Amino acid sequence: MARYAMVIDLDRCTGCRACMEACKVENNTPRANFWMYVFRFEEGEYPNTRVWFMPRPCMHCDNAPCVKVCPVGARYKRPDGLVATDFDRCIGCRYCEVACPYGVNYFNWKRPERNQYLDWTDAEAAAVLAPYTNGAVPPYKNPDLERAYGPERRRIAGGGHLKGVIEKCTFCVHRVERGLQPACVANCPLFALHFGDLDDPHSQVSQLLRRRSHFRLLEEASTEPRVYYLGGKPPGSDTRQIETIRARA
Amino acid sequence: MKVTRRTFVKGSAAVGGTLVASRFLPSGFQTLLKTEAAPAAAPQEEWVPTTCWIGKQDCGILARRINGRVVKLEGHPGNPLNVGTLCPKGVAQIMAIYDPHRVRTPLIRTNAKGVSGQWRRASWDEALTLVAGKIKEVRAKDPKLLVWQKGRSKGKAFYDEAFVKASGATKLHHGAFCSDAGYRASEYTIGMSGVLHPDFRHVRYLLAWGWNITNAGGNQLCWITWPQQLSAARERGLKVVAIDPRLRGAGPFTDDWIPIRPGTDLAFALALCHRLIAQNTIDREYLRRYTNAPFLVQADGTFLRIDGKEQVWDEQRGVARPYDAVAVRPALEGTFTVSGAPVRPAFQAFKDHVSPYTPEWAAQVCGIPADAITRVARELGEEARIGSTTVIDGVTLPYRPVAIMAYHMAQQELGFQAVRAMLTVMMLLGAVGAVGGQRIDVGGWAIHENFEKLDRIKITDPPYNIYLKDSPYFPINSNNSSLVARVMLNPDKYGVQDRPEMLIVHMANPMVSFASQPDLIESYKKFPFVVVIDPWLSETADFFADVVLPAATIEKYEGPSKASDQYLDGVALRVPPMQPLFQSRGDIDIYLDLCEKAGLLYGRGGYLDHLNAALKLKAPHRLPLDRKPTVREIFDRWAKSEGIAEGVAYFEKHGVKVKGPIPAAKAYGYAADPPFGGVRHRFYGEALLRYQAEMRARGAAEIYWRDYTPFPTWRAPTMTASPAEYDLYLITYKMIEFKQSRSSFIPLLNELAPRQRLDINPRTARERGIADGEEVWVESHHALTGETRKVRVRAHYTQAIRPDTVGLPHHYGLWSHPGAKGQGPTANALLFTGEGYVANTADQSFHVKVRVFKA
Repeated sequence: MARYAMVIDLDRCTGCRACMEACKVENNTPRANFWMYVFRFEEGEYPNTRVWFMPRPCMHCDNAPCVKVCPVGARYKRPDGLVATDFDRCIGCRYCEVACPYGVNYFNWKRPERNQYLDWTDAEAAAVLAPYTNGAVPPYKNPDLERAYGPERRRIAGGGHLKGVIEKCTFCVHRVERGLQPACVANCPLFALHFGDLDDPHSQVSQLLRRRSHFRLLEEASTEPRVYYLGGKPPGSDTRQIETIRARA
Repeated sequence: MKVTRRTFVKGSAAVGGTLVASRFLPSGFQTLLKTEAAPAAAPQEEWVPTTCWIGKQDCGILARRINGRVVKLEGHPGNPLNVGTLCPKGVAQIMAIYDPHRVRTPLIRTNAKGVSGQWRRASWDEALTLVAGKIKEVRAKDPKLLVWQKGRSKGKAFYDEAFVKASGATKLHHGAFCSDAGYRASEYTIGMSGVLHPDFRHVRYLLAWGWNITNAGGNQLCWITWPQQLSAARERGLKVVAIDPRLRGAGPFTDDWIPIRPGTDLAFALALCHRLIAQNTIDREYLRRYTNAPFLVQADGTFLRIDGKEQVWDEQRGVARPYDAVAVRPALEGTFTVSGAPVRPAFQAFKDHVSPYTPEWAAQVCGIPADAITRVARELGEEARIGSTTVIDGVTLPYRPVAIMAYHMAQQELGFQAVRAMLTVMMLLGAVGAVGGQRIDVGGWAIHENFEKLDRIKITDPPYNIYLKDSPYFPINSNNSSLVARVMLNPDKYGVQDRPEMLIVHMANPMVSFASQPDLIESYKKFPFVVVIDPWLSETADFFADVVLPAATIEKYEGPSKASDQYLDGVALRVPPMQPLFQSRGDIDIYLDLCEKAGLLYGRGGYLDHLNAALKLKAPHRLPLDRKPTVREIFDRWAKSEGIAEGVAYFEKHGVKVKGPIPAAKAYGYAADPPFGGVRHRFYGEALLRYQAEMRARGAAEIYWRDYTPFPTWRAPTMTASPAEYDLYLITYKMIEFKQSRSSFIPLLNELAPRQRLDINPRTARERGIADGEEVWVESHHALTGETRKVRVRAHYTQAIRPDTVGLPHHYGLWSHPGAKGQGPTANALLFTGEGYVANTADQSFHVKVRVFKA
């Protein structure tokens, strides 16, 4: 059994947010839901200013507070380390959202047809595109997301994005189970994101963590994240977010 | 999708008793289960190799297609430009393909021009017949009254070129808004077409000069390729100095930020030259052998020539000899007498020229500490390792691991000379074409025709064409469309007689994307007939088009495009991953039909003939001149002509053809045979002085000729004459989220940066009582005419900008797409064009003095 982790090299990140877009198109997430979010930070005062960037996916914690509070077992930790959300079972109580110290959970307040960037219930827009998309919403709808994954055969790849359900980064379980990297990792133009098996000493993530100093976010919370950062330091009291994106509409 | 609890229960039973879960929500019950029937068969998955359509360098793409529908665009792992990755625009363009607000059919205007358009849908046949008829009519009078304008061409511009040649149209460019002042400086000085970038594999010390590392491209290539090479170089220990009024773009990739005052780059470069000479960190061997620095200059500024040949002072013999005489040892310094007249080597003249340009002097001009300049000069001198060599591909070559990356910063009033001065810094260090040193063109060391052409411009008598080619106003001329607007509004002033009758605007949106918007809007009223070819109803189309022809986006054959990252050479082709949406058509299809209807397609000198020439098709692959080919056939013939036996099918299968590593002999100027293509680099710009003399003789005002000096010479930019109340410099920049002014309406991107914002230092803002996020007025001032322009925008606090500078990104200011409404103004509404706001090469400046106050 693999033990998956993500390693993010802050020395390489240009804050371009291509990972966010790769995630959005791959996972068809609705407007204002960012399973991957890239912070742009500024520190210090002119002319001693520092600018840096920090991608933030779900931490897939080993001691995940969100799993503990889920009253229906929709949020669960898989043996391979992925923290999954069974969207058939989620009742939308949002306890996980409150429990998570990283803010990675997004609640769907709107019906997907109205929240996939355009209002697809608009008959004209829908009719115009129907010949090319067969009515898919969004037009780039990924059929992989609806299927069941893992030995447990649960639907955890985030399909549907239905109103009243919590969703978050799945580490692209639908890709990982096919032997692919998560969409954000595969697309990163600077190769700043790495994904692999910590139990394999030869994996890139294992090698990077052996070779370079690293940190995890909110170590003191004992959540035991599976996301490691290389280079830099965690954001501190002097760190200001710039170019913030409005999330959770 | 709306389902009831009952259908939910049914659904859950169908999948075998999944836990019941539902929730009560204001809009009623909803389930989580998909209600569509499960597909009968497994979906059919295909991957189509193609190229990016949204950006400038056409990165390689693999389009994932499920049951014929494209669901994702991923980077093509085999393309050297992007190695399996895409920028946010590249990923998000999928939403643009499926945009229901694309132009879906040809449109013909039904209302008056100059206001928002009303349209009726037309068939392709009707629209093309109308346009072709107009082309015939105009060409019958004078072909050059047909004006053709394109933004950045996608792929090789062969089909554009063929249309311009077949029709005889006057062609307008876009480069004067990009980086053309730098291109002209490099073409004239070194003979290479490009601006400046390093040999990233070996460079150790880099001046990121106005290089917006984390947001924009860099010299010639788009954003992905350069940051990848930068990051790899930094992991090898590269030191980066960012010379930029705004740090944000350099992000965490900079060791030393020098927040230079906008428009003073020339002064900084001259002070570096001063220090390099004072430090004696000069590559004399290079200057003697490969530049005109040893050429003897007479008191009048011209070279001493004997029997038509430039002379140098032979140190050993103590006489003037031809520069190419056998065993000559040219002096670089000293003053000599030849035939009773004083002469000095150009290098000595330069040394004298830069002696007042001390770091202390430049510190005042550039608004930075003098020791920052001294430090950079010292580090440049040390890191250049003058005299050292290294072995590449078995060849021993000079090793000078210092370089500059500069591109769009060239577009400033003194841009041409600023880039010449930056090249002079690199010439003094001997870094041009050395290992780890200065490069200019990613395509290898090839001498551009402009090296000679720009040295032999023949200024003619009026009348001039609409962009003032060969005029005494802008003898070196980058063809600036904003300046064209000024000319069209006052043609007599410039000795222009042509009154254009028809304009074809292809993939350009001058109304928004070119500087000085009010001039553009006024001048477009002068075009009696305007055709726009575009996937969207651009603002230019909205106000001025008579006919709009819908072009496809990625869903067409287009190219070929260069797929070289400066180390690996390759070529790629755009292949349609799906049929064109709606009634849109590929651009080449449009031109083929248009030319056929306009009687321009067939025979000698026709469009097909010019396609053969532009694509360099060799027999037997040349297009027959009497039959209209399909676009696929054109590319099939091209591929076969290039020696790819499978033809276009090769690209339909692989997308990119990687030719292999670029050999040292092609990449390094020193390794070329002969070195540097056999030209002497123009350390001294004698022709510039010659042009100045002729411009003056023809009565051109000082504002036109004053920057035609053989050495880069500092003067205060025109904008600094604005009154003191206009106390801030406005700079503009790009964001990684958008491409030009044709992407802010793409919802996936628009979400990332929905609104225009003014970058302002919190200190500057607080002095004016402006809070972060508050609405402000930005008012620009024309230093010569006193005209003011203003826009309203939100303030955005940042400590990463000079307190005397504010910044506005481009990309915004669109109005015709519903997704772009309310985003805020374009920076081009504030900028001015024409005298004082263009370079001596007609290149547009993107600087202006402004004041900012609470709205």
